[in-house]
Amino acid sequence: MNFIEAENLTFRYHGSDEPVLNGLHLTIEKGSYTAILGHNGSGKSTLARLLCGLLTPDEGTVRVAGIDTSDEERFYDLREKCAMIFQNPDNQLVAGIVEEDVAFAPENLGLPREEIRRRVDEALSVVGMTDYALHATAKLSGGQKQRVAIAGVLAMRPDCIIFDEATSMLDPTGRKEIMAAIKRLNETYGITVLTITHYMNEAVEADRVVVLNHGQIYMDGTPKEIFSRVDELKEVSLSAPQVTELLHLLNKDGFSFPKGLLHTDEAADALQAEWNARGCKPLTDLTHERAPYTPNPPVLELKDVSFVYGEGTPYRKVALDHVNVAFPKGEIIGVIGHTGSGKSTMASLLNGLLKPSEGTVLLDGKDIHADPKKLRTVRSRVGLVFQYPEYQLFEETTAADIAFGPKNMGLSAEDIDARVKKAAAFCGIHDSAMTRSPFDLSGGQKRRAAIAGILAMEPEVLVLDEPAAGLDPMGREEIFSGLVEYRNARGATLLLISHSMEEVARYADRILVLKDGKVFLYGTVEEVFGRADDLSAASLDLPQITKLFLELKKRGMTDASDVYTVPYAKRRTEKLYDEK
Amino acid sequence: MRNDMTLGQYYPGNSFLHKADPRVKIVSLVLFLVLTMLANNLASLGIVLAATLLLAFVSHIPAKVLVRSLKPLVFLLLFTGVINLFFTEGETPLFSLGFLHIYPEGVRSTVFILLRLVCLVGGSSLLLSYTTSPLELADAIESLLSPLKKLHVPVHDFAMMMTIALRFIPTLTEETDKIVSAQKARGADLESGGLIKKLKAMIPILLPLLISSFRHAMELADAMECRCYRGGEGRTKLKVLRTRASDYLFLALMAALCAVVIAANRFGGFTLWNVAL
Repeated sequence: MNFIEAENLTFRYHGSDEPVLNGLHLTIEKGSYTAILGHNGSGKSTLARLLCGLLTPDEGTVRVAGIDTSDEERFYDLREKCAMIFQNPDNQLVAGIVEEDVAFAPENLGLPREEIRRRVDEALSVVGMTDYALHATAKLSGGQKQRVAIAGVLAMRPDCIIFDEATSMLDPTGRKEIMAAIKRLNETYGITVLTITHYMNEAVEADRVVVLNHGQIYMDGTPKEIFSRVDELKEVSLSAPQVTELLHLLNKDGFSFPKGLLHTDEAADALQAEWNARGCKPLTDLTHERAPYTPNPPVLELKDVSFVYGEGTPYRKVALDHVNVAFPKGEIIGVIGHTGSGKSTMASLLNGLLKPSEGTVLLDGKDIHADPKKLRTVRSRVGLVFQYPEYQLFEETTAADIAFGPKNMGLSAEDIDARVKKAAAFCGIHDSAMTRSPFDLSGGQKRRAAIAGILAMEPEVLVLDEPAAGLDPMGREEIFSGLVEYRNARGATLLLISHSMEEVARYADRILVLKDGKVFLYGTVEEVFGRADDLSAASLDLPQITKLFLELKKRGMTDASDVYTVPYAKRRTEKLYDEK
Repeated sequence: MRNDMTLGQYYPGNSFLHKADPRVKIVSLVLFLVLTMLANNLASLGIVLAATLLLAFVSHIPAKVLVRSLKPLVFLLLFTGVINLFFTEGETPLFSLGFLHIYPEGVRSTVFILLRLVCLVGGSSLLLSYTTSPLELADAIESLLSPLKKLHVPVHDFAMMMTIALRFIPTLTEETDKIVSAQKARGADLESGGLIKKLKAMIPILLPLLISSFRHAMELADAMECRCYRGGEGRTKLKVLRTRASDYLFLALMAALCAVVIAANRFGGFTLWNVAL
């Protein structure tokens, strides 16, 4: 039975000629689990809003459980049946206490008190938040907040929940929590689920994947079918899981692995079957791809640095614990760690926003806190880009906003102008955008404008905290290629702070892994991935392709697992099959 | 970290004070504040202070937390204390330090003002902010003001606005910290310069904060609509405000406290160094 029927949907935002959705047809079966993919601007969030009735179509109709979403009389019936979870957990919580927030919807429905109590308890137990019923919402982690938000709509007993990029602002732990909750809602409670996501590994979990492009359905099928069409996905700047891509590339070179294998285990099975059939020997004695090198002299150093929050209070927390690290000039260093590992604290210590409780931060061998008057110079030499930097934009035009940093440095008007232009070029900001308000730009452009604001200060060291968080694969690519270009042109040192090993592995020369405020591992990418077992034991989120090689190692096919990108994996696999 | 600031923040618990009807607590607080100002001798002020300590005891809130809530006030306390100590004039100084004279009257007024401030802050924290969740508080105000509904005053909407404002204080505080750090990282100078320059330097902080508040508001509105919010009409409550026997008892105790304080005001005073205490 169809739960949602959308026919011939067309929608334009006010004041825009281009339709976001253009004659789209979509039916969603009751009890199904569908993932909707598409790059930024493909219309997927608009579709979600149309399906749950927050927007009504210009043309065409949407029926949810037989209710026409344009029927204003039945507006609240629709709300009760089809709920929605949004991206930002903070903006969905109405009350300061968990159970009072969950009670919000049943209270609005005018239910009797006992029924509200029952529903609140039930909803909290479904998302595993019963123990937190009386906690303050502000003190919860992102994943926990999002689970409370889910409980908040579950209390309406909806038939369908639409998740609009509900995991994109969460860390890997939070993301796992939400994915587990979604699966449970669908499998155990039979709730129809629609997830809108940028993450392919999340889409893989669904029964059905719908890919949108230019406001129309571009692909529609099971995850297996969709992800086996790697090249078509690339065309709309999406990607397949790494193992799927690896097998696809190998097939192009004459192998014939089954199509659409999405999981590490099934890919390992296929690779092993081929390996057995060919009668290959285990691959040993590997040399690293990159020649060993002597690192440049350090530009920035942490010497025995500790940082303690709330010293002398019961809330004392050691964020960094006697850390010794040197960052070589001109290299890209990936900084990895869980939430609370001390990554963000380290970032603020590097440009002197925080002062170490113990130890010194050296820039070119000099203590940055030696002369407090020179701290502002330090901040222009060590640029720091915070998470979601677009939230700090404020000027009338993009150009003026980018000029804010250089202006604070007291440069001449010509100098400022030249720097603004250069920074905009690195970040791929068009001239037409420069004279417009930064608030009129698209999400990805705003992010780039904010980063350009730091680049315009021409820092020697650039520290970036999750610069690509929440962007689609193409948006991420644009940000990173601009940064690499800046590094190459200026010989600058880049520190990329990230949750994602996969992202860091692609660009970094060396990787620093922090754990509980201490250095867990620090070395070149090869060295760090060479110890993939340790990384896995520290429950860090490894790239899928590394997990595949760890599995192959377990099966005795190779003795090294330092594989971290798909092209590298492909060369390694070919070598594996040469070993006769 | 500003997050740890607890002044005026709910401390979840299960004590008698936590469970009391918030309306009763509001009424009691008004009485208590009036009493603190009325108490004019050491005996009556002592009784108010004892009542504050008793409230602290029954609230089951750790002493550490309570003391920490006074910390932001240390400067205010010191400042008023010093001003009162040195600038209250009397007849015969207790002792003199150069041009500074300390009179018994000064000591009296310092002690009184400090005790009053501690009782004021302590009483309001214990009766309301620590033991009453913001949502309960909003409910209580809505209920106390509900007679105004007949005059078409949108009481529910005010209460909802208050709830949401309270809910977003921690979010916006955190965000302010982030924006300040981010602009400092762009070389913004927030410390030096005169008043005008400092005000101008606030623009890069205030503007992003304003814009992000709007974003919060828009998204929250969508989320509320998705959870069937349609104003106060026909809305029920998980927690219904009920005045129980214990609440009447509490009110009776407050009335008794009033009587005792007024009596102490009349009969409890004594004189030391020509100063009425």
